[in-house]
Amino acid sequence: MTGGRGSSAAGRRRVVVTGAGVVSPLGDSPAALHRALAAGASARKPIELFETSGIGCHEAGEIRPFDPQAYVGERNLRPLDRTSRLLVVAAQLALADSGWAAIGPRPAAAAAAAEIGLVVGTTFCSVRTIAEFDRRALRLGPTHASPLDFANSVINAAAGQAAIWHRLRGVNSTLAGGEASGLQAIAQATELVRAGRADAVLAGGAEELCFESFFGYYRAGRLCGSQDRGAVERPVPFDARRNGFSLSEGAALLMLEEASAAAARGAAVRAEVLGWGAAFAAASGEAGMAGAVARAVRLALADAGATPAEIGCLSASASGSSTVDRAEARGVAAALGERAAELPVTAIKAMLGEGLGVSAAWQAVDLVETIGDGVLPGIAGLEQLEPGLPMPLPETAPAVTRRLEPAARQRVLVTAVGADGHCAALVLGAP
Amino acid sequence: MSEAAKGRRVAVTGLGTVTPVGTGKDEVWANLLAGRLGFAPVTSFDTGAFNVHLGAEVQGFSSAPYVRRLDPGRMGRASQLAIAAARLALADAGLCCKLGDAGDAGDAGDAGEHRDPGEPAARAVEPEQAGVAMGTTSGEPREVERFDDRYLAGELDAVGAEFMTLYPCHMIAAHVARELGFAGINTMIPAACAAGNYALAHAVDVLRAGRAELMLAGGADAFSRITYAGFARLGAIAPERCQPFDRRRKGMIPGEGAAVLVLEPFDAARRRGARIYAEVAGYGLSCDAHHMTAAHPEGDGAVRAMSRALADAGLAPEQVSYISAHGTGTPTNDRLEAIAVGRVFGAGMRVPISSIKSMLGHTMGAASAIEAAVCALAVATDEIPPTMGLEDPENDFDYVPNEARRLRVEVAMNNAYAFGGNNASTIFKKCELS
Repeated sequence: MTGGRGSSAAGRRRVVVTGAGVVSPLGDSPAALHRALAAGASARKPIELFETSGIGCHEAGEIRPFDPQAYVGERNLRPLDRTSRLLVVAAQLALADSGWAAIGPRPAAAAAAAEIGLVVGTTFCSVRTIAEFDRRALRLGPTHASPLDFANSVINAAAGQAAIWHRLRGVNSTLAGGEASGLQAIAQATELVRAGRADAVLAGGAEELCFESFFGYYRAGRLCGSQDRGAVERPVPFDARRNGFSLSEGAALLMLEEASAAAARGAAVRAEVLGWGAAFAAASGEAGMAGAVARAVRLALADAGATPAEIGCLSASASGSSTVDRAEARGVAAALGERAAELPVTAIKAMLGEGLGVSAAWQAVDLVETIGDGVLPGIAGLEQLEPGLPMPLPETAPAVTRRLEPAARQRVLVTAVGADGHCAALVLGAP
Repeated sequence: MSEAAKGRRVAVTGLGTVTPVGTGKDEVWANLLAGRLGFAPVTSFDTGAFNVHLGAEVQGFSSAPYVRRLDPGRMGRASQLAIAAARLALADAGLCCKLGDAGDAGDAGDAGEHRDPGEPAARAVEPEQAGVAMGTTSGEPREVERFDDRYLAGELDAVGAEFMTLYPCHMIAAHVARELGFAGINTMIPAACAAGNYALAHAVDVLRAGRAELMLAGGADAFSRITYAGFARLGAIAPERCQPFDRRRKGMIPGEGAAVLVLEPFDAARRRGARIYAEVAGYGLSCDAHHMTAAHPEGDGAVRAMSRALADAGLAPEQVSYISAHGTGTPTNDRLEAIAVGRVFGAGMRVPISSIKSMLGHTMGAASAIEAAVCALAVATDEIPPTMGLEDPENDFDYVPNEARRLRVEVAMNNAYAFGGNNASTIFKKCELS
């Protein structure tokens, strides 16, 4: 770390988490999601959103039923595609959870006045909307192209739609970094608050399940059960038998606020964002990825002013992807040294699946719950830890949900590793 | 905000541009000052089914001089354009990458950097301290178009791994970093037509906070039938020429391109004797939260972005010498933009304001990055590019009609607005030696 950042940390604006909103296949509130993860539930179910005949995979983390109007009322949802609807609901829930708005159809007047920002991580926003727009124009001719779909074809469409819906007039940004997107968004929002550019920012991610990405990842051999190498048809992070991830969908947003502003409006503080780090695996292969993970973790610890010994637990990005999981384990171990050998670890994608842009935001929301209740979900399905992995996981029994003492949840770590090289880490602290 | 709280000052030390009127900052700058137009009948796809046919494509682009380390056949066109702009910018800054240090044993190092005899050796960049921030509207749209062609032809079996390895927009920033071995923070900001300014703003924050010692920041977009069909359907494409701020303007003309700016901490740039085009004095972002494709009727978000940028830079409106307008040439954009600018600078304001989209068309995610490079050049050279095709101006503003102008440019403001109501203004200032 350059620039003496750590030494100036004491004087800078602090960023706290005052609430969160979650839409996921395992629950629509932070507490419900956390309970399901701790119970080892699985998000996988037969896909009904689109036809899967002709594809060798038929299960994913589809949110079903998904009824946005149950959350946001009877306003016209027609202009919003699925990604935007997921994000609008998550924003509604986060505004309510953090005390900015009541659940219901009315825009949050207080939120509009406060110029709340929105930073969204996503990989595709909606590749379905983009592809449907293109195919309709090709089939019927350009005069029949859909103006509505075109408006939603930009990758910042969900962020724009959610801003319109909830009158979020502050900074509005969209970041794409694959599986690390959601954490990149939380990091950027943190910087905006620290720098005094915003007092309150919703930050997280959104991703929809659709044919285009599901089929694409299937053809790329990335989905569990899609490769002819092993019988495991569920995602098993860190397991020797793992053969891919399970695609999932949803949205999650944390309300990040400047600490004194949050206190002034009497908001409950659930956690504090202590620091973050980011790096890129410019060199190909596992060593390059492990190095980038290690740098991201070290930068996050330095930014937080935390030592490896102070980190109480880790929510890992591992998804069941064969090379990336190993690189992540090695990178974390390189950054944490001795502490890695005894660190409690969860990898919630074993239960939730890989939500791409939303994944890291789910991880952060779940770990905020862990800070609150001390429950760290296990890694369902993990039975045969890959030999030689520097992770303190039982080698023969499934990693089970455990309870952490208060001292072990003062500072917790989230890692997010994108298969294309984007690595990020976040240190959260107890309030 | 106090100077100390803002962190380090940020300098622009290198420019790389790939545009419909040329490649490289010297050629592009000369052609923009000469008022050259980059419009021609579209060649990327058949426009027979459309009632408009002009586009602003980058003609005859070859990735060969730029994509040296990676395989250009395994990346989309936007990535190729971005790498070209990045290489040009890095060379312009007198810097080179230091391959081999990033852990890739298979790489032979950076022996391929061109250098003329007598030219000082380029200074190598520390890979872990070098980051990339890129903006885009559509990412790699040709990859999804290829998928759609196969879908409609019933040939989905022909889709391989490449759809997911090439298509996601974050591959643009990833490809730039892999090509150059840059292992620092890597951020892709798909903020549509304001994305270049968003990437620049992000890079400024990264440098101010001491999270990198060098940032490549810019934007890239490839010409796309999806984009063309969308704007055609909205009736937003001009049939013959792009005339921003003219009362008879008929619309924008879609384009493509890339631009990258090299940003460094100001003091470090001074120490290494770098040529400093300008200081990035500040930025401002906002969201209309009003409509997906139409700006706020009173320019609300645009006003807040400009005002925040001025406050961030510690400047008053009267200190601004030149405004690079978003200026797409659509009836609505230009009218509302003029209202917004008038609210910040005064209805009778005389600050020269021009739109290079009158020459380049709308290069989407690259647009505000190219315009940022133009602002840096305006500050460095005391020349400003014209608004071409301007015969009957929208109002009494000085739109720099049809001829470039020599003018002392202390401060340039770059405005960009996007679908989703995303607004971004950046400010460039002449470098002060103190």
